[in-house]
Amino acid sequence: MTEKPSHKSPLKLILIIVVALVGMSAVSFIGGGVGKIIFGGGAQPTGIFAIHAPKPELPAERPFCPPGEEGAAAGKCKYSFFTNTMITAWISIAFLLFLFITATRKIRLIPKGLQNFVEFFIESAQNFIDDTAGKEYGRKFFPVCVTLFLFVLLNAWFSLVPGFETIKLNHMPLLRNANTDINTPMMLAVVSFCFVEYWGFRANGFHYLKKFVNFSPALNGIKQVFSGQVKAGLGAFGMGLITLFTCFLETISELVRLMSFTFRLFGNMTAGMITTLVIMYIVPWVVPSIFYGLETFLGFVQALIFGGLTLCFLALAVTPHEEESH
Amino acid sequence: MEGLGLDLPTFIGQLISFLILLGLISAFGFKPIRKMLDERSKRIQESMEMAEATKKEYEQAQAEVQKRLAQSQKQGEALIVQAREIGEKVKEEAKSGARAEAQAIIEKTQVEMKRDQDKIIDNLRREFAGIAILAAEKVIKESLDKQKHLRLIEETLEQSSLLRKH
Repeated sequence: MTEKPSHKSPLKLILIIVVALVGMSAVSFIGGGVGKIIFGGGAQPTGIFAIHAPKPELPAERPFCPPGEEGAAAGKCKYSFFTNTMITAWISIAFLLFLFITATRKIRLIPKGLQNFVEFFIESAQNFIDDTAGKEYGRKFFPVCVTLFLFVLLNAWFSLVPGFETIKLNHMPLLRNANTDINTPMMLAVVSFCFVEYWGFRANGFHYLKKFVNFSPALNGIKQVFSGQVKAGLGAFGMGLITLFTCFLETISELVRLMSFTFRLFGNMTAGMITTLVIMYIVPWVVPSIFYGLETFLGFVQALIFGGLTLCFLALAVTPHEEESH
Repeated sequence: MEGLGLDLPTFIGQLISFLILLGLISAFGFKPIRKMLDERSKRIQESMEMAEATKKEYEQAQAEVQKRLAQSQKQGEALIVQAREIGEKVKEEAKSGARAEAQAIIEKTQVEMKRDQDKIIDNLRREFAGIAILAAEKVIKESLDKQKHLRLIEETLEQSSLLRKH
């Protein structure tokens, strides 16, 4: 390389930093739980690398219930209602409300600071939604899509705050990413599903139900058979049966959305959490940061998928169905 | 499902929390901001329209001013011409008036002078007649009585005035 000397020193610095980081991660790997087993020296990891082996639990913990008590997991103690994911969800909600209420408390025509930021976000989201759903419905779909997005995003990102899961109560983390509790993604999926069906019904009326149950083509075929046109009638009856089957498939796909919504978010978030825990156990230093960056991106993507898919399904539900005209 | 941690109370709790968030954030977050955004875009449109209108108005006003200026200049010129004409006329009138007055004064003076002249001549004649009669008296040495004397004067005067009239 024929670079000027002034360019050489930053390059050198970067090289030194990279080497140092690799060294740190190597040292922490050797000293960590897995390294000790591989390189010998007992099963116990060295002092500062002593991170508990990850024991991820799928059900949300109930930190106000001491584990020793009988039936704590089943929810028999006094505060068993409160799971750590619920507390995190409340924090996200409080944060969101605080953010928006602060931004709009002294709302001005010429925006400043926080109002400017929030307005920028709202405007971008509105444009995104309008592009998909059109101007007419864009405004109506906005609140639910954006709230879903923000809620998922905030939950995901809150769990990345350093020290987030280290606050313990009764040997259980007080806070835990709400998206990793199956109840939260399922609740969001149900909300999304309800809004989709509501808008579909509202936009198309009882016509919308024909998407799921439609006997009329088959009945028309039978009518034709009895009125003498046996061949045409049988053909129409056959087509009617196919329509019925299509309706059945539509219903299934609608219900499958619930499952896919739930498990996409739950799976991604839980996997992210477990991956981070495992990596932290194997290489306590440096490398987890990479995974934290990945998780940040993943949280954003999941939130976008959740809000975006809801938007897509809403847009699909309100478009009139013309199957009867065929 | 038990292993996943699916739990109805938790589910309902989260659902209620989320619905509260949805309601509050729509009412206190999205709505005012949307209103503000709409209002802003409306304001911008309005002010742009207003600017356009103002520009048009200004141009119109300028044209009007230009027109008025030209008009008033024309009017002013006409006024000046008129004033000059009037002044000319007034001067003329004053001149002719003065001339007439002077003429009248001259004529009056002439009349008066004529009258005075006549009076003087009359007196002179009367005196002269008296003297002439006195002289004639002396000449004829004959004393006339007073009445005869006066009659003689009147006769002479009558004759002389007749003479003068010719």
